[in-house]
Amino acid sequence: MVAGDIVLTGLMAVLLVGVAALLTRVENWRSYTPLAGGGAVTGDEAAVINREKPAGIIRWLTTVDHKDIGLLYGVYAVIAFAVGGIMAMLIRLQLVTPAGAILGNNAYNSILTSHGITMLFLFGTPIIAAFANYFIPLLIGADDMAFPRINAIAFWLLPPAALLIWAGFFLAPVTENMIEPARTAWTMYTPLSVEQANPGVDLMLLGLHLSGVAATMGAINFIATIFTERNEEVNWANLDIFSWTILTQSALILFAFPLLGSAIVMLLLDRNLSTTFFAVEGGGPLLWQHLFWFFGHPEVYILVLPPMGLVSLILPKFSGRKLFGFKFVVYSTLAIGVLSFGVWAHHMFSTGMDPRLRASFMAVSLAIAIPSAVKTFNWITTMWNGRLRLTTPMLFCIGFVSNFIIGGVTGVFLASIPVDLILHDTYYVVGHFHYIVMGAIGFAAFAGIYYWFPIFTGRMYQRTLGKAHFWFSMVGTNITFFAMLALGYLGMPRRYATYEFDGAIAPLTQVSTFHQAATVGAVILFIGQLFFVWNIVQSWLEGPKVEDGDPWNLERDGMLDREFQWFDEQLEAEAPEKDPSLLADGGEEEQDDS
Amino acid sequence: MAEEPGLSDQYPTASPWPLFVALGLALSEIGVFVGLFPVAVFGLILFGGSIAGILTESGYVERPWPTLLGVGVVLIVLAAAFAVWQVPVADIALSNVGTGPLLTRLVAVAAAGTVMIAMGGVASIMEQTAA
Repeated sequence: MVAGDIVLTGLMAVLLVGVAALLTRVENWRSYTPLAGGGAVTGDEAAVINREKPAGIIRWLTTVDHKDIGLLYGVYAVIAFAVGGIMAMLIRLQLVTPAGAILGNNAYNSILTSHGITMLFLFGTPIIAAFANYFIPLLIGADDMAFPRINAIAFWLLPPAALLIWAGFFLAPVTENMIEPARTAWTMYTPLSVEQANPGVDLMLLGLHLSGVAATMGAINFIATIFTERNEEVNWANLDIFSWTILTQSALILFAFPLLGSAIVMLLLDRNLSTTFFAVEGGGPLLWQHLFWFFGHPEVYILVLPPMGLVSLILPKFSGRKLFGFKFVVYSTLAIGVLSFGVWAHHMFSTGMDPRLRASFMAVSLAIAIPSAVKTFNWITTMWNGRLRLTTPMLFCIGFVSNFIIGGVTGVFLASIPVDLILHDTYYVVGHFHYIVMGAIGFAAFAGIYYWFPIFTGRMYQRTLGKAHFWFSMVGTNITFFAMLALGYLGMPRRYATYEFDGAIAPLTQVSTFHQAATVGAVILFIGQLFFVWNIVQSWLEGPKVEDGDPWNLERDGMLDREFQWFDEQLEAEAPEKDPSLLADGGEEEQDDS
Repeated sequence: MAEEPGLSDQYPTASPWPLFVALGLALSEIGVFVGLFPVAVFGLILFGGSIAGILTESGYVERPWPTLLGVGVVLIVLAAAFAVWQVPVADIALSNVGTGPLLTRLVAVAAAGTVMIAMGGVASIMEQTAA
């Protein structure tokens, strides 16, 4: 123990000296000239700059440019999506046979827990932050985010968060299973999460806490940016729909994530310092569920509102019509934002809580379907009689609407107490929310990536691969998650590593068949994502360069937004000077050979 | 601007500090919560130092040292307050460090605070006498 402490002290000392040495090398601390209010660049300072950014890896480690940070978020999220996706494949392969095909129960529970947390916190929130960082300042005509450095801090908290959340997987082999991956499921219900002595749970909780701090810092930044940094032409009446959804989402984050952070700290204290917040003799185990879902349900809307904004932004562009009922799409966004804090206990209908409270939560949960339906009808009406162009981003938008309808309608049933009592903790719930998180949120993220790919990279993606990606994703998603809805009706409980039931509990043959169907769907989905990765990487490196600032031909319908106008200006500015540094985003060094 | 500008003076969209603020916060959390004394101390020093650095760089303060000193004081006050509130007075003794779950962590926080006060104080004095 003492030797361990000495080694750790030595390591930390070396790290600190290294950091100090590095900082002294790259930074002259005495050279700082005070900037007004700590903002970005002032005019006279910009005049002495000959290049915008340092070269190489230092650029990416030190950048405070919103576009670079957006790209960092994007790359991070796609890596997390790959990790979470591989975990999902392991889960599906395991469940091909009732006895479990490839994993032990502990490994299964670890992977199940990490899959959920990875997808929600390390993919979902960051991929939205990627789009928001890159495009909110461009869409509202701001120079950068309101607090560029805080923006960078928020991003750099995420890599340590991911390492901590996955720490158990790395540390189990080297610590002889002293530290194992957490097996608490993503909801971390007490008393299970208090009683698992494994330090891997503490590390995961710390990682989650850091990711929450990052999300909160980002949210404050977006709120400040949208309120204070708008160009004089942008007012509340003509603010674009994506900025509205990010503003609402940031408000939700501001109220929800600090609560998660506090609840996690309480759980850590219960685990390590013998407090009794969630003990039977203290606050009681149910307190955790209230605190967790008071965060957890708004989190659903934190994840889904900006993708709805993306669809509301992109879908009209390829329908040749302005968004139908723009005002009502904004109002419904705000309504969902408010209502989202009044539905949390619908996750707890079967806990034995007061029936009168249950009824009120049922009412609000049913009510939230109304603004969601307003949006859905507006998307459909936008396409009605429009001049549809089935580009890859448009296909993903239409897929979003389709999947959102199935995910949403199955949710309305779950909001009803009697139905919920039967379907609670079955695969029906899993099918329902995966239609939303994969079928809707995932699809909108893909739509955004394809739509803005020319701006990110200065190049065009390969259209056929894009369409293959869509169709494999659409078919795979629907096979996998529709099979889960059926499994739920058959009574298959969620989270089980094996399902060798007695025939009296559930019809084993049908259950196995639907599990196998879900696995086949997952394989199709997985193949689709291989097309995606190949397309993105190869097109980024070798795709045809975009010469026109309006690659989607949006000007014809008067729909060329500010971000593509900015892109056009970049292309024009670049052309005469042939200076690659001017197109700062994407880091395309080969721009000058055109 | 000085004759040899630093990275963030040369490039308006670059700053070395955010990365280390984040790393410092992450190490501090791990150190304090998991109860790894050296990680807690060094993490907090990195965190406090980076806060002092980033505030100076962005022009909110003129020199980093008073901030470093201030963060150190805050940490010591926090640690002392928790000790008085949660640890029985009889148990507050140097010989008990390393035994109780809370006391060791508080000592780590206070140690980091002390180092920061020392660093901030010495650097302030050196800077003023050199100038």
